[in-house]
Amino acid sequence: MATPGAPLVAPVPLVWRLVTVVEVVDETPHARTLALDVPDWPGHVAGQHLDVRLTAEDGYVAERSYSIASAPEDARVALTVERIDDGEVSPYLAGELVVGDQFEVRGPVGGHFTWRAQDGGPLLLVAGGSGLVPLMAMVRHRAARASGAATELLVSSREREAVLYRDELERLASAEDGLNVVYTLTRSRPAGWSGYARRVDAPMLAEVGPAASASPRVFVCGPTPFVEAVADALVSLGHAAENVHTERFGPTGG
Amino acid sequence: MPPFSRGFHRRPPREDVDPSRVPPGQYVVNDFPVLSAGPTPRPKLDEWSFSVQGAVDGAASWTWEELNALPQETFTVDIHCVTKWTKLGTTWTGVSVDTLMDGVATEAEYVSVWADGGYTTNVPLEDLRDGKAWVVHTFDGEPLEPAHGGPARLLVPHLYFWKSAKWVRGLTLTVEDEPGFWENAGYNNYGDPWREQRYWGD
Amino acid sequence: MEEERGAAARDATVLDGNAIAALLGEIFGGSEMTSATRGCGSCGQSHPIGEHRLYRGAGLVLRCPGCGDVALVVVERGGEAVREVQLLGRWQVAVG
Ligand SMILES: Cc1cc2nc3c(=O)[nH]c(=O)nc-3n(C[C@H](O)[C@H](O)[C@H](O)COP(=O)(O)OP(=O)(O)OC[C@H]3O[C@@H](n4cnc5c(N)ncnc54)[C@H](O)[C@@H]3O)c2cc1C
Ligand SMILES: [Zn+2]
Repeated sequence: MATPGAPLVAPVPLVWRLVTVVEVVDETPHARTLALDVPDWPGHVAGQHLDVRLTAEDGYVAERSYSIASAPEDARVALTVERIDDGEVSPYLAGELVVGDQFEVRGPVGGHFTWRAQDGGPLLLVAGGSGLVPLMAMVRHRAARASGAATELLVSSREREAVLYRDELERLASAEDGLNVVYTLTRSRPAGWSGYARRVDAPMLAEVGPAASASPRVFVCGPTPFVEAVADALVSLGHAAENVHTERFGPTGG
Repeated sequence: MPPFSRGFHRRPPREDVDPSRVPPGQYVVNDFPVLSAGPTPRPKLDEWSFSVQGAVDGAASWTWEELNALPQETFTVDIHCVTKWTKLGTTWTGVSVDTLMDGVATEAEYVSVWADGGYTTNVPLEDLRDGKAWVVHTFDGEPLEPAHGGPARLLVPHLYFWKSAKWVRGLTLTVEDEPGFWENAGYNNYGDPWREQRYWGD
Repeated sequence: MEEERGAAARDATVLDGNAIAALLGEIFGGSEMTSATRGCGSCGQSHPIGEHRLYRGAGLVLRCPGCGDVALVVVERGGEAVREVQLLGRWQVAVG
């Protein structure tokens, strides 16, 4: 645990930077990764996010937060945005934008919901839907630094097609370097599915582990109701509140 | 002005609205956004009461059943949130503040409205009288959802919507004006949407 | 306290202090504030700012995750370079 009040990341000048989209990758039918060229990128810590600012021609401005998906070691900064159908910003970022388009970001920000290889393990990462994004930055960072920290990643998704970074996660898990990935599909399952098929609950968390007695650092991210439910279940299993880090993405049906 | 983002637009405004019903700086929404300064309380109705108290002769209090036994009014009004959305033609049922103040004598000119969860907002008494304000428990014919202030909220449609305290439990009449939660934090003491009184000094 | 938690659990629109990391950075001159802690005068607990609950009403309200006590209220004056800020409780802010 860090000393209370000690900064985990250096202060950053909160300037808006004009970024350019250099690559667009469809991750799922509803989510898209944007690789960005960010001038004077100060570097980031896995788990941090950016504020995105869009300005319409009539001067109307919209701001939203997006977690950084890429590891600090990656050459490019990447965001992954899930499209909310009646949303104002996400359909633009995950639909309208093409390579070469520009928008503004500021950050990286946030020093609480972060993990660095030197923080060590064991780790329990629990993701609901697009809440996987900042946890993926941690998993990628872990791999880039060959950290070997014992890590359980529990991914909750509506269906298999909606799971972000599926192939990459399979590849990372197959390295057998201490990362274990477990899925639960809450809405529909492919034939022969042998993984979990319900919302994350205390018995599932107990099975996945690590147990509270191992004092894992726990990171939970996703829609607000998901995070509330998982955090309550973790506390009921005896995890100390100060080991449980949460990041709520806001309202959603998922 | 920051550089603009190609192809990004605000949500298209509704076209079928009468512009004379939309106060300056507002836009019309179809949905009903949920805004809140704190967690949603879930009071038990058999422990719920509504009271008129403070600088009054004859403080009064009603249980849930008693409130529902008072004369009810159903009415349709437009509501205006200081965060700039306006919702037209919302239909509510409840008890007018006139009915609640009937038989309560007071010299006080101000009201501190208070609610479960500790929220307060201040309104001049005359802005709650003469058919200008209600304690409502029904929206569009359905019991008011907790997220929107149920079991009951104040409704003062001619002022910005933060004055229409959710989860309202009582009116405290005060001789001096006592700024409430948002009024203390920088929002306008009165909050007339037609004069765009959003912040201190507006 | 348990009741407060339970109530918050049903509020689907709540965020946490992490979401306003940039805003807090602006208010505190660039400091990283989500890992700073706040000692709550109401329940006596200390929690990182990043774990506080963020409610969005007319303005922003940050509350103690232990008891719901108000930690911060921010009102943005649209279109003006002024922001109204109320800070409550004991904020432990790292210096240097
Ligand atoms: C710290 C932080 C990090 C985030 N990181 C990511 C990320 O990496 N990837 C990502 O895709 N999103 C992320 N989000 C969510 C993101 O900021 C936006 O809230 C989301 O993209 C919706 O914006 P919108 O403008 O499309 O929808 P809005 O126009 O704001 O909302 C439209 C409708 O969708 C509902 N809605 C709003 N937000 C959500 C939501 N999150 N889920 C479902 N329904 C919603 C609203 O209630 C409303 O009815 C993050 C949020 C926070 C606070
Ligand atoms: Zn407290």
